Amino acid sequence: MKSHSIIALMLLLFITLSMETNAQISWKKQETVDNLPLQLFHSPQSINLPTVETLQQGDFEFEISHRFLPSIKDGSKDLYGFDGPVNMRIALGYAVTDDLVLTLGRSNVDDNLDLRGKYRLLQFKETFLPLLIGVQFGIAKNTQTLKPVASPGRTYQYFGQIIFNTMINKKLGIGVVPSFLYNSNIYRSDVQNSFTLGMNAQYYFTNMFSVLAEFNPTVNGYLNRFNSAAFGIELETGGHFFKIILTNNAKLNPSQFLSGADKDFGTGEWRLGFNITRLLKF
Amino acid sequence: MKNILLLCFLVSVELFSQGTELHVKQGSKNHVEFISDAPFGKFSGVTDNIDGYLYWEGNNYTTNSSLYFEVDLKTLDTGIGLRNRHMRENYLQTDKFPDASFKGKITNVTPAEQGSFNVDAEGEMFIHGITKNIKISGLLSKAENSDYNIKTNFTIKLSSYNIDIPSIMMVKLSEVIELKLNFNLFAVNKTEGKK
Repeated sequence: MKSHSIIALMLLLFITLSMETNAQISWKKQETVDNLPLQLFHSPQSINLPTVETLQQGDFEFEISHRFLPSIKDGSKDLYGFDGPVNMRIALGYAVTDDLVLTLGRSNVDDNLDLRGKYRLLQFKETFLPLLIGVQFGIAKNTQTLKPVASPGRTYQYFGQIIFNTMINKKLGIGVVPSFLYNSNIYRSDVQNSFTLGMNAQYYFTNMFSVLAEFNPTVNGYLNRFNSAAFGIELETGGHFFKIILTNNAKLNPSQFLSGADKDFGTGEWRLGFNITRLLKF
Repeated sequence: MKNILLLCFLVSVELFSQGTELHVKQGSKNHVEFISDAPFGKFSGVTDNIDGYLYWEGNNYTTNSSLYFEVDLKTLDTGIGLRNRHMRENYLQTDKFPDASFKGKITNVTPAEQGSFNVDAEGEMFIHGITKNIKISGLLSKAENSDYNIKTNFTIKLSSYNIDIPSIMMVKLSEVIELKLNFNLFAVNKTEGKK
Protein backbone atom coordinates (compact mmCIF):
# COMPACT_ATOMS: atom_id res chain seq x y z
CA MET A 1 0.00 0.00 0.00
CA LYS A 2 2.71 2.37 1.02
CA SER A 3 4.86 1.62 -1.99
CA HIS A 4 1.83 2.23 -4.23
CA SER A 5 1.35 5.59 -2.66
CA ILE A 6 4.95 6.56 -3.27
CA ILE A 7 4.72 5.50 -6.90
CA ALA A 8 1.51 7.45 -7.26
CA LEU A 9 3.11 10.48 -5.66
CA MET A 10 6.13 10.29 -7.93
CA LEU A 11 3.90 9.87 -10.92
CA LEU A 12 1.83 12.87 -9.95
CA LEU A 13 4.95 14.94 -9.36
CA PHE A 14 6.29 13.89 -12.70
CA ILE A 15 3.04 14.78 -14.46
CA THR A 16 2.89 18.06 -12.60
CA LEU A 17 6.40 19.01 -13.58
CA SER A 18 6.09 17.94 -17.19
CA MET A 19 2.74 19.69 -17.57
CA GLU A 20 4.14 22.76 -15.91
CA THR A 21 6.92 23.13 -18.45
CA ASN A 22 4.43 22.66 -21.25
CA ALA A 23 1.89 24.95 -19.72
CA GLN A 24 4.40 27.78 -19.55
CA ILE A 25 3.62 28.89 -23.09
CA SER A 26 1.10 26.94 -25.08
CA TRP A 27 1.30 29.08 -28.21
CA LYS A 28 2.72 27.23 -31.20
CA LYS A 29 4.01 28.69 -34.43
CA GLN A 30 1.75 27.83 -37.33
CA GLU A 31 3.28 26.66 -40.56
CA THR A 32 2.74 29.51 -42.97
CA VAL A 33 1.16 28.54 -46.22
CA ASP A 34 2.39 30.23 -49.35
CA ASN A 35 -0.79 31.23 -51.13
CA LEU A 36 0.92 33.65 -53.46
CA PRO A 37 0.34 33.05 -57.14
CA LEU A 38 3.41 31.90 -59.03
CA GLN A 39 5.09 34.79 -60.82
CA LEU A 40 7.88 34.26 -63.31
CA PHE A 41 8.47 36.96 -65.92
CA HIS A 42 8.29 40.47 -64.52
CA SER A 43 6.41 42.11 -67.37
CA PRO A 44 3.03 41.01 -68.81
CA GLN A 45 4.63 40.93 -72.24
CA SER A 46 7.94 40.13 -73.82
CA ILE A 47 8.57 42.27 -76.92
CA ASN A 48 5.52 41.33 -78.95
CA LEU A 49 4.68 37.98 -77.42
CA PRO A 50 2.67 37.83 -74.21
CA THR A 51 3.84 36.29 -70.96
CA VAL A 52 1.43 34.69 -68.50
CA GLU A 53 1.88 37.58 -66.05
CA THR A 54 -1.27 39.51 -65.34
CA LEU A 55 -2.06 42.52 -63.19
CA GLN A 56 -3.70 42.70 -59.80
CA GLN A 57 -7.46 43.09 -59.94
CA GLY A 58 -8.34 46.73 -60.57
CA ASP A 59 -4.92 47.71 -61.93
CA PHE A 60 -4.63 49.44 -65.30
CA GLU A 61 -1.65 49.31 -67.61
CA PHE A 62 -1.03 51.90 -70.28
CA GLU A 63 1.23 51.01 -73.18
CA ILE A 64 2.86 53.11 -75.83
CA SER A 65 5.11 51.44 -78.36
CA HIS A 66 6.94 52.60 -81.48
CA ARG A 67 8.71 50.84 -84.34
CA PHE A 68 10.82 53.11 -86.50
CA LEU A 69 10.53 52.03 -90.13
CA PRO A 70 13.94 52.91 -91.63
CA SER A 71 16.39 50.19 -90.70
CA ILE A 72 19.51 50.99 -88.70
CA LYS A 73 21.42 49.94 -91.82
CA ASP A 74 20.41 53.24 -93.39
CA GLY A 75 22.57 54.86 -90.77
CA SER A 76 22.72 58.48 -89.78
CA LYS A 77 20.81 59.60 -92.89
CA ASP A 78 17.56 58.69 -91.12
CA LEU A 79 19.16 58.97 -87.69
CA TYR A 80 18.96 55.19 -87.34
CA GLY A 81 15.21 55.34 -87.83
CA PHE A 82 14.29 58.23 -85.59
CA ASP A 83 13.44 60.42 -88.58
CA GLY A 84 10.53 58.10 -89.17
CA PRO A 85 8.03 57.20 -90.43
CA VAL A 86 6.96 55.22 -87.41
CA ASN A 87 4.42 52.55 -86.53
CA MET A 88 2.86 53.06 -83.17
CA ARG A 89 0.51 51.40 -80.76
CA ILE A 90 -1.28 52.73 -77.72
CA ALA A 91 -3.21 50.43 -75.44
CA LEU A 92 -4.89 50.28 -72.11
CA GLY A 93 -5.23 47.07 -70.13
CA TYR A 94 -7.48 46.45 -67.17
CA ALA A 95 -7.39 43.56 -64.73
CA VAL A 96 -10.96 42.31 -64.32
CA THR A 97 -9.69 39.73 -61.84
CA ASP A 98 -6.21 38.75 -60.69
CA ASP A 99 -6.21 36.21 -63.52
CA LEU A 100 -7.92 38.07 -66.38
CA VAL A 101 -6.66 41.15 -68.20
CA LEU A 102 -8.60 42.85 -70.97
CA THR A 103 -6.64 45.15 -73.27
CA LEU A 104 -7.87 47.58 -75.88
CA GLY A 105 -5.18 48.70 -78.30
CA ARG A 106 -4.87 50.83 -81.39
CA SER A 107 -2.18 50.85 -84.04
CA ASN A 108 -1.81 53.40 -86.82
CA VAL A 109 -1.26 50.57 -89.34
CA ASP A 110 -4.65 50.23 -91.07
CA ASP A 111 -5.98 51.95 -87.95
CA ASN A 112 -6.08 48.53 -86.38
CA LEU A 113 -8.14 48.36 -83.21
CA ASP A 114 -7.79 45.23 -81.12
CA LEU A 115 -9.43 43.86 -78.04
CA ARG A 116 -7.81 40.94 -76.34
CA GLY A 117 -8.24 38.98 -73.19
CA LYS A 118 -5.49 37.11 -71.41
CA TYR A 119 -6.26 34.48 -68.82
CA ARG A 120 -3.88 32.92 -66.35
CA LEU A 121 -4.92 29.30 -66.51
CA LEU A 122 -2.63 26.98 -64.55
CA GLN A 123 0.39 27.09 -62.31
CA PHE A 124 2.76 24.34 -61.26
CA LYS A 125 4.92 25.47 -58.36
CA GLU A 126 6.36 22.22 -57.10
CA THR A 127 7.57 20.77 -60.37
CA PHE A 128 11.24 20.48 -61.37
CA LEU A 129 10.87 23.79 -63.14
CA PRO A 130 7.98 26.09 -62.27
CA LEU A 131 5.40 26.29 -65.03
CA LEU A 132 2.74 28.81 -65.85
CA ILE A 133 0.16 28.32 -68.58
CA GLY A 134 -2.04 31.05 -69.93
CA VAL A 135 -4.24 31.71 -72.94
CA GLN A 136 -4.89 34.85 -74.94
CA PHE A 137 -7.65 35.50 -77.43
CA GLY A 138 -8.24 38.61 -79.44
CA ILE A 139 -10.31 40.25 -82.11
CA ALA A 140 -9.01 43.05 -84.31
CA LYS A 141 -10.78 45.42 -86.66
CA ASN A 142 -8.92 47.34 -89.35
CA THR A 143 -10.97 50.50 -89.26
CA GLN A 144 -9.35 52.27 -92.22
CA THR A 145 -7.85 50.15 -94.96
CA LEU A 146 -5.46 51.45 -97.61
CA LYS A 147 -7.03 49.32 -100.33
CA PRO A 148 -10.51 47.83 -100.63
CA VAL A 149 -11.00 44.40 -99.01
CA ALA A 150 -13.05 41.52 -100.47
CA SER A 151 -15.95 41.92 -98.06
CA PRO A 152 -16.65 44.04 -94.97
CA GLY A 153 -16.11 40.97 -92.77
CA ARG A 154 -12.54 40.75 -94.01
CA THR A 155 -11.54 43.79 -92.01
CA TYR A 156 -11.81 41.61 -88.90
CA GLN A 157 -9.03 39.36 -87.68
CA TYR A 158 -8.99 36.83 -84.84
CA PHE A 159 -6.13 35.32 -82.94
CA GLY A 160 -5.49 32.84 -80.17
CA GLN A 161 -2.35 31.99 -78.24
CA ILE A 162 -1.34 29.47 -75.61
CA ILE A 163 1.44 30.71 -73.38
CA PHE A 164 3.90 28.42 -71.58
CA ASN A 165 6.34 30.12 -69.23
CA THR A 166 9.06 28.75 -67.05
CA MET A 167 12.01 30.21 -65.23
CA ILE A 168 15.40 28.79 -64.34
CA ASN A 169 17.04 29.93 -61.13
CA LYS A 170 14.84 33.06 -60.97
CA LYS A 171 17.08 34.52 -63.64
CA LEU A 172 16.32 33.02 -67.02
CA GLY A 173 12.72 33.15 -68.15
CA ILE A 174 11.68 31.04 -71.11
CA GLY A 175 8.42 31.22 -73.02
CA VAL A 176 6.82 29.14 -75.75
CA VAL A 177 3.80 30.68 -77.39
CA PRO A 178 2.04 28.68 -80.12
CA SER A 179 -0.20 31.15 -81.91
CA PHE A 180 -2.97 31.08 -84.49
CA LEU A 181 -4.08 34.02 -86.59
CA TYR A 182 -7.20 34.03 -88.75
CA ASN A 183 -7.23 36.36 -91.77
CA SER A 184 -3.52 37.08 -91.74
CA ASN A 185 -3.61 39.35 -94.78
CA ILE A 186 -6.82 41.32 -95.09
CA TYR A 187 -6.04 42.35 -98.69
CA ARG A 188 -5.81 38.82 -100.12
CA SER A 189 -8.92 37.70 -102.01
CA ASP A 190 -9.12 34.46 -99.99
CA VAL A 191 -8.74 34.15 -96.22
CA GLN A 192 -5.21 33.40 -95.02
CA ASN A 193 -4.34 31.79 -91.69
CA SER A 194 -1.05 31.52 -89.88
CA PHE A 195 0.28 29.13 -87.25
CA THR A 196 3.39 30.36 -85.53
CA LEU A 197 5.56 28.97 -82.76
CA GLY A 198 6.65 31.95 -80.73
CA MET A 199 9.63 31.61 -78.43
CA ASN A 200 11.07 34.13 -76.05
CA ALA A 201 13.80 34.24 -73.45
CA GLN A 202 14.74 36.86 -70.92
CA TYR A 203 17.72 36.99 -68.61
CA TYR A 204 17.43 39.15 -65.50
CA PHE A 205 20.84 40.52 -64.54
CA THR A 206 19.34 42.46 -61.64
CA ASN A 207 15.89 43.19 -60.35
CA MET A 208 15.67 46.11 -62.73
CA PHE A 209 17.77 45.24 -65.75
CA SER A 210 17.32 42.37 -68.17
CA VAL A 211 18.00 41.39 -71.76
CA LEU A 212 15.41 39.66 -73.88
CA ALA A 213 14.98 38.04 -77.27
CA GLU A 214 12.11 36.70 -79.30
CA PHE A 215 11.67 34.49 -82.34
CA ASN A 216 8.33 33.84 -83.98
CA PRO A 217 8.66 31.43 -86.90
CA THR A 218 5.62 30.60 -88.99
CA VAL A 219 5.23 26.84 -88.98
CA ASN A 220 2.20 26.65 -91.25
CA GLY A 221 0.11 28.96 -93.38
CA TYR A 222 0.60 32.52 -94.53
CA LEU A 223 3.91 34.25 -93.96
CA ASN A 224 4.54 37.85 -94.88
CA ARG A 225 8.04 37.26 -96.30
CA PHE A 226 10.20 36.60 -93.19
CA ASN A 227 10.02 35.07 -89.75
CA SER A 228 10.09 37.65 -86.99
CA ALA A 229 12.99 38.10 -84.63
CA ALA A 230 13.69 40.75 -82.03
CA PHE A 231 16.04 41.40 -79.16
CA GLY A 232 16.67 44.19 -76.71
CA ILE A 233 16.93 45.37 -73.15
CA GLU A 234 14.34 45.95 -70.48
CA LEU A 235 14.48 48.42 -67.62
CA GLU A 236 12.04 48.06 -64.81
CA THR A 237 11.20 50.76 -62.31
CA GLY A 238 8.46 51.23 -59.74
CA GLY A 239 5.61 51.17 -62.23
CA HIS A 240 7.24 51.16 -65.64
CA PHE A 241 8.75 48.72 -68.05
CA PHE A 242 10.99 50.29 -70.70
CA LYS A 243 12.07 48.10 -73.57
CA ILE A 244 14.46 49.25 -76.26
CA ILE A 245 14.66 46.72 -79.04
CA LEU A 246 15.80 45.84 -82.53
CA THR A 247 13.39 43.90 -84.74
CA ASN A 248 12.78 43.00 -88.36
CA ASN A 249 9.01 43.20 -87.86
CA ALA A 250 7.63 46.72 -87.54
CA LYS A 251 4.08 45.62 -86.74
CA LEU A 252 2.79 46.03 -83.23
CA ASN A 253 -0.76 44.81 -82.83
CA PRO A 254 -0.89 41.01 -82.42
CA SER A 255 -3.07 40.43 -85.51
CA GLN A 256 -0.53 42.26 -87.64
CA PHE A 257 2.65 41.09 -85.94
CA LEU A 258 1.75 37.39 -86.14
CA SER A 259 1.56 37.47 -89.96
CA GLY A 260 5.33 37.84 -90.18
CA ALA A 261 8.06 40.37 -90.95
CA ASP A 262 8.72 42.33 -94.12
CA LYS A 263 12.47 42.70 -93.60
CA ASP A 264 15.22 40.11 -93.52
CA PHE A 265 17.27 40.25 -90.35
CA GLY A 266 19.81 38.03 -92.08
CA THR A 267 20.87 41.05 -94.13
CA GLY A 268 20.99 43.28 -91.06
CA GLU A 269 17.73 45.09 -91.69
CA TRP A 270 17.01 45.72 -88.04
CA ARG A 271 14.72 48.48 -86.89
CA LEU A 272 14.75 50.34 -83.64
CA GLY A 273 11.71 50.32 -81.44
CA PHE A 274 10.56 50.73 -77.90
CA ASN A 275 7.74 49.65 -75.62
CA ILE A 276 6.85 51.64 -72.54
CA THR A 277 4.22 50.45 -70.13
CA ARG A 278 3.00 52.28 -67.08
CA LEU A 279 0.98 50.73 -64.32
CA LEU A 280 -1.94 52.84 -63.18
CA LYS A 281 -4.28 52.62 -60.25
CA PHE A 282 -7.21 54.94 -59.80
CA MET B 1 0.18 10.32 2.63
CA LYS B 2 -3.22 11.40 1.36
CA ASN B 3 -2.46 14.89 2.61
CA ILE B 4 0.75 14.99 0.62
CA LEU B 5 -1.07 13.90 -2.52
CA LEU B 6 -3.71 16.56 -1.96
CA LEU B 7 -1.04 19.19 -1.37
CA CYS B 8 0.73 18.11 -4.52
CA PHE B 9 -2.50 18.36 -6.49
CA LEU B 10 -3.26 21.80 -5.10
CA VAL B 11 0.23 23.04 -5.90
CA SER B 12 -0.11 21.86 -9.48
CA VAL B 13 -3.50 23.57 -9.88
CA GLU B 14 -2.03 26.70 -8.35
CA LEU B 15 0.84 26.63 -10.84
CA PHE B 16 -1.51 26.23 -13.78
CA SER B 17 -3.76 29.10 -12.83
CA GLN B 18 -0.91 31.45 -12.13
CA GLY B 19 -0.01 32.56 -15.65
CA THR B 20 -2.11 34.51 -18.08
CA GLU B 21 -1.50 33.70 -21.68
CA LEU B 22 -3.07 35.64 -24.53
CA HIS B 23 -3.03 34.45 -28.11
CA VAL B 24 -3.69 36.52 -31.19
CA LYS B 25 -7.27 35.91 -32.22
CA GLN B 26 -7.30 34.79 -35.84
CA GLY B 27 -10.21 35.86 -37.97
CA SER B 28 -10.86 38.96 -35.90
CA LYS B 29 -10.26 42.38 -37.38
CA ASN B 30 -6.51 42.44 -36.93
CA HIS B 31 -4.74 45.26 -38.66
CA VAL B 32 -1.04 45.61 -39.35
CA GLU B 33 -0.03 48.54 -41.50
CA PHE B 34 3.17 50.19 -42.62
CA ILE B 35 3.15 53.73 -43.91
CA SER B 36 5.85 55.22 -46.09
CA ASP B 37 5.45 58.97 -46.20
CA ALA B 38 7.97 60.22 -48.74
CA PRO B 39 7.83 63.82 -50.02
CA PHE B 40 6.26 62.89 -53.35
CA GLY B 41 4.39 59.74 -52.60
CA LYS B 42 2.69 58.32 -49.58
CA PHE B 43 1.58 54.73 -49.59
CA SER B 44 0.86 52.00 -47.16
CA GLY B 45 0.73 48.25 -46.98
CA VAL B 46 -1.77 46.28 -44.96
CA THR B 47 -2.17 42.73 -43.71
CA ASP B 48 -4.22 40.96 -41.06
CA ASN B 49 -1.75 38.11 -40.86
CA ILE B 50 -0.34 38.47 -37.35
CA ASP B 51 0.15 35.69 -34.83
CA GLY B 52 1.80 35.28 -31.44
CA TYR B 53 1.27 35.45 -27.70
CA LEU B 54 1.62 37.58 -24.61
CA TYR B 55 2.28 35.92 -21.24
CA TRP B 56 2.70 37.05 -17.69
CA GLU B 57 2.30 35.67 -14.18
CA GLY B 58 0.56 37.20 -11.23
CA ASN B 59 -1.01 40.61 -11.19
CA ASN B 60 1.79 42.97 -12.03
CA TYR B 61 2.23 41.86 -15.67
CA THR B 62 6.01 41.96 -15.56
CA THR B 63 6.73 38.76 -13.61
CA ASN B 64 8.13 36.10 -15.91
CA SER B 65 6.55 37.93 -18.79
CA SER B 66 7.28 37.03 -22.37
CA LEU B 67 5.82 37.94 -25.69
CA TYR B 68 6.26 37.02 -29.30
CA PHE B 69 4.46 38.41 -32.32
CA GLU B 70 5.09 37.71 -35.97
CA VAL B 71 3.71 39.17 -39.17
CA ASP B 72 3.66 37.31 -42.48
CA LEU B 73 5.26 39.84 -44.81
CA LYS B 74 4.25 37.93 -47.95
CA THR B 75 0.66 38.94 -47.33
CA LEU B 76 1.30 42.70 -47.20
CA ASP B 77 -0.84 44.43 -49.79
CA THR B 78 0.02 47.92 -50.99
CA GLY B 79 -2.88 48.01 -53.43
CA ILE B 80 -0.77 47.54 -56.56
CA GLY B 81 0.30 44.08 -57.67
CA LEU B 82 3.65 45.04 -59.16
CA ARG B 83 4.54 47.11 -56.11
CA ASN B 84 3.73 44.13 -53.88
CA ARG B 85 5.99 41.96 -55.96
CA HIS B 86 8.83 44.48 -55.88
CA MET B 87 8.41 44.78 -52.12
CA ARG B 88 8.52 41.01 -51.66
CA GLU B 89 11.26 40.16 -54.10
CA ASN B 90 13.49 43.23 -54.24
CA TYR B 91 13.35 44.76 -50.78
CA LEU B 92 12.02 42.39 -48.10
CA GLN B 93 13.18 39.17 -49.81
CA THR B 94 10.29 37.25 -48.33
CA ASP B 95 11.39 33.94 -49.82
CA LYS B 96 14.33 34.08 -47.38
CA PHE B 97 12.69 36.04 -44.56
CA PRO B 98 8.96 35.46 -44.70
CA ASP B 99 8.16 36.89 -41.26
CA ALA B 100 8.94 39.97 -39.25
CA SER B 101 8.85 39.26 -35.54
CA PHE B 102 9.20 40.88 -32.15
CA LYS B 103 10.27 38.77 -29.19
CA GLY B 104 10.69 40.20 -25.74
CA LYS B 105 9.21 40.91 -22.37
CA ILE B 106 7.07 43.45 -20.59
CA THR B 107 9.18 45.98 -18.72
CA ASN B 108 6.62 48.39 -17.32
CA VAL B 109 2.86 48.73 -17.04
CA THR B 110 0.93 51.82 -16.04
CA PRO B 111 -2.84 52.12 -15.86
CA ALA B 112 -4.46 54.22 -18.54
CA GLU B 113 -8.04 55.29 -19.15
CA GLN B 114 -10.99 52.94 -18.92
CA GLY B 115 -9.29 49.90 -17.56
CA SER B 116 -6.60 49.79 -20.18
CA PHE B 117 -2.88 49.79 -19.63
CA ASN B 118 0.13 51.39 -21.20
CA VAL B 119 2.53 48.56 -21.67
CA ASP B 120 6.24 49.00 -22.36
CA ALA B 121 8.03 46.11 -23.92
CA GLU B 122 11.64 45.50 -24.77
CA GLY B 123 13.04 42.87 -27.06
CA GLU B 124 14.39 41.79 -30.38
CA MET B 125 12.86 43.01 -33.61
CA PHE B 126 13.64 40.74 -36.54
CA ILE B 127 13.15 42.08 -40.05
CA HIS B 128 14.93 41.11 -43.27
CA GLY B 129 17.44 38.89 -41.49
CA ILE B 130 18.53 41.61 -39.08
CA THR B 131 17.84 41.55 -35.33
CA LYS B 132 17.71 44.82 -33.38
CA ASN B 133 17.01 45.46 -29.72
CA ILE B 134 14.21 47.96 -29.46
CA LYS B 135 11.58 49.24 -27.05
CA ILE B 136 7.94 49.44 -28.02
CA SER B 137 5.03 50.88 -26.12
CA GLY B 138 1.44 49.92 -26.65
CA LEU B 139 -2.00 50.08 -25.19
CA LEU B 140 -3.47 46.86 -23.81
CA SER B 141 -7.17 46.94 -23.14
CA LYS B 142 -9.67 44.41 -22.00
CA ALA B 143 -12.55 43.84 -24.37
CA GLU B 144 -15.66 41.68 -24.12
CA ASN B 145 -15.55 38.17 -22.72
CA SER B 146 -11.95 37.18 -22.22
CA ASP B 147 -10.71 39.17 -25.20
CA TYR B 148 -8.02 41.78 -25.23
CA ASN B 149 -6.86 44.37 -27.71
CA ILE B 150 -3.41 45.77 -28.40
CA LYS B 151 -2.76 49.03 -30.19
CA THR B 152 0.71 50.24 -30.95
CA ASN B 153 2.40 52.75 -33.23
CA PHE B 154 6.11 53.03 -33.72
CA THR B 155 8.67 53.72 -36.39
CA ILE B 156 11.59 51.82 -37.81
CA LYS B 157 14.44 52.91 -40.05
CA LEU B 158 14.86 50.86 -43.19
CA SER B 159 18.65 51.25 -43.09
CA SER B 160 18.72 49.59 -39.65
CA TYR B 161 17.44 46.43 -41.28
CA ASN B 162 19.60 46.60 -44.41
CA ILE B 163 16.62 47.35 -46.62
CA ASP B 164 17.86 49.40 -49.53
CA ILE B 165 15.82 52.38 -50.46
CA PRO B 166 15.36 52.05 -54.20
CA SER B 167 17.39 54.68 -55.93
CA ILE B 168 15.55 53.97 -59.16
CA MET B 169 13.55 56.80 -60.54
CA MET B 170 9.89 56.95 -59.70
CA VAL B 171 10.10 54.83 -56.60
CA LYS B 172 9.47 56.92 -53.55
CA LEU B 173 10.06 55.25 -50.26
CA SER B 174 10.62 56.94 -46.95
CA GLU B 175 13.66 56.01 -44.85
CA VAL B 176 11.49 56.09 -41.75
CA ILE B 177 8.56 53.70 -41.89
CA GLU B 178 5.64 54.13 -39.56
CA LEU B 179 4.06 50.95 -38.25
CA LYS B 180 0.52 50.77 -36.92
CA LEU B 181 -0.82 47.66 -35.29
CA ASN B 182 -4.25 47.05 -33.85
CA PHE B 183 -5.09 43.45 -33.08
CA ASN B 184 -7.13 41.25 -30.80
CA LEU B 185 -6.17 38.50 -28.42
CA PHE B 186 -7.99 35.98 -26.32
CA ALA B 187 -7.00 34.50 -22.99
CA VAL B 188 -6.04 30.87 -23.13
CA ASN B 189 -7.78 28.91 -20.40
CA LYS B 190 -4.95 26.92 -18.85
CA THR B 191 -7.06 24.49 -16.85
CA GLU B 192 -8.81 23.34 -19.98
CA GLY B 193 -5.52 22.45 -21.57
CA LYS B 194 -3.99 23.75 -24.71
CA LYS B 195 -5.87 25.79 -27.17
